[in-house]
Amino acid sequence: MALDLVVEHYVLLSGLIFLIGAVGFVTRRNVLVQLMSIELMLNSVNLALVAFNRQHGGAMNGQMFAFFVIAVAAAEVAVGLAIVLQFYRLRATVNSDEADGLRH
Amino acid sequence: MQLSTSFLAQVTPVEPSPVQAALTQLFPADNFVLLGVILALPLIGAFVNGVFGKRLGREAVTLMALSAVGLSFVASLVAFFMVSSARVGDELVRFQWTAWEWFRLSTAGDFSQTPLNVAFSLDALSAVMILVITGIGSLIHLYSSKYMEEDPGYYRFFTYLNLFIFSMLVLVLGDSLPILFVGWEGVGLCSYLLIGFWFDKSENASAGKKAFITNRIGDFGLLVAMGLLLYFVGALDWSGIESNKEALLAPVKLWPIGNEVPLARILPEDAGKWLNQPRYVSGATLVGLFLFLGCAGKSAQIPLYVWLPDAMAGPTPVSALIHAATMVTAGVYLMCRMAGVFVLSPTAMFVVALVGGFTALFAATIALVQNDIKKVLAYSTVSQLGYMFLGVGVGAFVAGFFHVLTHAFFKACLFLGAGSVIHAMHARIHDTDQSQDMRYMGGLRKFMPVTFLTFAAAWAAIVGFPLTSGFFSKDEILLKANTSFVAGTSVAQGDFTWPAWGHWVLWGLGAAAAILTAFYMTRLFIGIFFGEFRGWTIVRGYQAAVHGHADAGHGGHDDHADEHGHAHEQPGPDMQGPTPHESPWQMTLPLVVLGILSLAGGFLSAHLFHVHPLDDFLGPVFGDAVQRVKLIKGHETRTIPLVAFAVVAFLVGSLVAYWIYLQAKGEPARKLAAQFPRLHSLLIDKWRVDELYEETIIGAVDSLADMCVWFDKWVVDGILARLTTAIISLSGTALRQLQTGRLQTYAAAMVVGLAGVGWFLLTPRAAAHTSADHSSGRYEITAAPGFGYGYRWDSDGDGQWDAEDFGEQRTIAFSLQTEETRTIRLEVRNAFGRTAEREFTFSRPKPDKSGYVAAATGVGAENLKNAHEGVGMKQ
Repeated sequence: MALDLVVEHYVLLSGLIFLIGAVGFVTRRNVLVQLMSIELMLNSVNLALVAFNRQHGGAMNGQMFAFFVIAVAAAEVAVGLAIVLQFYRLRATVNSDEADGLRH
Repeated sequence: MQLSTSFLAQVTPVEPSPVQAALTQLFPADNFVLLGVILALPLIGAFVNGVFGKRLGREAVTLMALSAVGLSFVASLVAFFMVSSARVGDELVRFQWTAWEWFRLSTAGDFSQTPLNVAFSLDALSAVMILVITGIGSLIHLYSSKYMEEDPGYYRFFTYLNLFIFSMLVLVLGDSLPILFVGWEGVGLCSYLLIGFWFDKSENASAGKKAFITNRIGDFGLLVAMGLLLYFVGALDWSGIESNKEALLAPVKLWPIGNEVPLARILPEDAGKWLNQPRYVSGATLVGLFLFLGCAGKSAQIPLYVWLPDAMAGPTPVSALIHAATMVTAGVYLMCRMAGVFVLSPTAMFVVALVGGFTALFAATIALVQNDIKKVLAYSTVSQLGYMFLGVGVGAFVAGFFHVLTHAFFKACLFLGAGSVIHAMHARIHDTDQSQDMRYMGGLRKFMPVTFLTFAAAWAAIVGFPLTSGFFSKDEILLKANTSFVAGTSVAQGDFTWPAWGHWVLWGLGAAAAILTAFYMTRLFIGIFFGEFRGWTIVRGYQAAVHGHADAGHGGHDDHADEHGHAHEQPGPDMQGPTPHESPWQMTLPLVVLGILSLAGGFLSAHLFHVHPLDDFLGPVFGDAVQRVKLIKGHETRTIPLVAFAVVAFLVGSLVAYWIYLQAKGEPARKLAAQFPRLHSLLIDKWRVDELYEETIIGAVDSLADMCVWFDKWVVDGILARLTTAIISLSGTALRQLQTGRLQTYAAAMVVGLAGVGWFLLTPRAAAHTSADHSSGRYEITAAPGFGYGYRWDSDGDGQWDAEDFGEQRTIAFSLQTEETRTIRLEVRNAFGRTAEREFTFSRPKPDKSGYVAAATGVGAENLKNAHEGVGMKQ
């Protein structure tokens, strides 16, 4: 049986991935996993953007926007990993609960 | 006062020389930039020495400071001769230079604006003043280059000194009261800085503070006077005040404040009536008295004289320049400048004369018993300033100003001579107080011939030795105090006429002070230069090797004394020391110049010999003011007896002092002191005026401060501050719970927030803007736009939608009859198919008599009152 893929399927999948990312971000304490969760959320948005663009056709706004998100995500990961690295050198841990220097 | 112009008519050349013509072309009278040159030079000197002085080294600092003031003196000389040669007849010559416009003042009453320019002007009066300031200033700079040689703050000293010269020039050259005030404050600042020059000793620092604060009281008076002048006259520059000063004759009600005194109601009728009686003074009296308060502060008159004796804590050249020759005479200068205003008020003039005369006598009594030579000279300065005010107070402006000149000569000479003596005493005595104590001096004429001779010249001038400068100026003031008075005007209400006994009181005060002056100056003179030397036993060939610095550490500074063993030795016969030495030429040259001026300066205004170039020169400045100054009947007959009395006063004062202190070795004085111990100690303690002020005014201020401290401690700190901190820390404690430091908490909060925003976006809102015009019956309703909104209306109020489908139409317009009411329904559907509904009720009221008033202006909120807002939401 050939799957009849419509835009709703893509949006549904995108929402699912976003949810996984969000829940992962909120529940996990490992900063690296949290970074990965953020990537998941960003990519789910990319998927939705591309799917909607496919539906509306014509202008390539959705694709363009997806590229922007990928670029931003790359920058974000670079900065984020640098912070994680420094944090690890400082505290010898990657547990986000330990990053409470501003609180005290 | 009769002014002849013959002398100047002679010196005024008919044909201007080429140099003069070139100068006149270069510096026209209405743009006299030469004043800028005179002003800028000392300012540059102060700037260079102040900023770079520490790195420049002593020679460069000296060169900068001396050349700045010296060149300024040369420029002043040129300006002086231009003023004197520009005069034709009795016209007032005034050279103007406007640097820039400062600001504009709104005058009370009409709303015209008074421009206030940074403008300077030069006339005969200021021309003489700038000669004194830069001339004596240059001499004292030269003197200081040696006197202050060893001081670590050498460059600082010359910075202040140059800054002082600049400020004093601003004061004198300013073309309006505000500019004068800038200079007035500038010299006050420099005076403060220089009194506290050796600020590491706390009494020097507090003497500076005392001078500064006492002067503030005077400055208050000057500020009030400026405000009053602006109110009455509407101008603050000299020519503006001069041309409008008659406005000052307007009566001002002083009492009662308001319509009546509340106290009068409970008093007996007569007393109440007397209390409620309105009392008037003329505006001129008010302005004059407030101006005089300013003058009394700066020129050390009763009751504000207390700062000047303490100001002697500064280096001696400063005492000579600022606290004798120039700054303290600023008050007299201001009185001369404002002569036209002062003569309008006989009351103010009488007060000035009386205060001046009383100050002259009062300060002289204190000077009788002081042993510190600088203290004697300080009280003498206060006394001589009193003379000047006595002179200008009786309307003898030229005589008063002439005394400023002669006093500048002889008092600067006396102070510099005293400095030279102290310099010599420092060879062995390093304590400031002891090195200035005349009980350790004596016999110095053998060792310091130049200082002795110049001091003698200045002594002769101040005691009124016939034909010296002081003789002529003091004699002229005493003569005028006895014969001249200020005539009242019939215009001003509550006018005051000088009582007949006034002359004798004023003259009596001055004459008694003259005798005392002769006495205490002779005592000082003998104490320093005659008899045996009492400082130490002179050992020929006393070697510097024994005590380190026989010649070093001069300049009144004694800090380094402790490093050497002899600091705690008591001066006297038990101490050994070198032969006291004469000062170097940098110090004796100014003494010689000033000594010659003290002797010969009198002939600038020697009325006895009908030689009075100064009077002729200054004539036009006071030409208008002296119209109101009258001489009593038969004044000619009094001239010879009064001059004779002046000579007698000098002879009595100095001969008694000669007999007591030289013939009898001070024995009668000691006996007198033993006979009246309380009076003697009262005089030694300067009538305990400082203690009186301490108890009354300072005590009152202190308790006020204590009250403020209490308020601050308990109300501001206690209630306000603590309460605020408590509230803030409580809310902080509550809010801190949210700040967990866990990333997940923040992320969860973000999710909740996003969900809230999403909910808000998904919910449709049926809001609308209505407008109504009751007079024409036209009504309009416009629904608010939103994301993907569609609208449907029930515009006729029949309960049925106009169209079942949602459309794009946002605005509905309709008409109503009078007293008709209609309910409009609106339903909104958003992009997600959710709907909201709302009802609007419109009704058109019956017109009242004045028609539809509300309708003409009303839109929006006003009309929404009519619209009953039934809000319903259908999901």
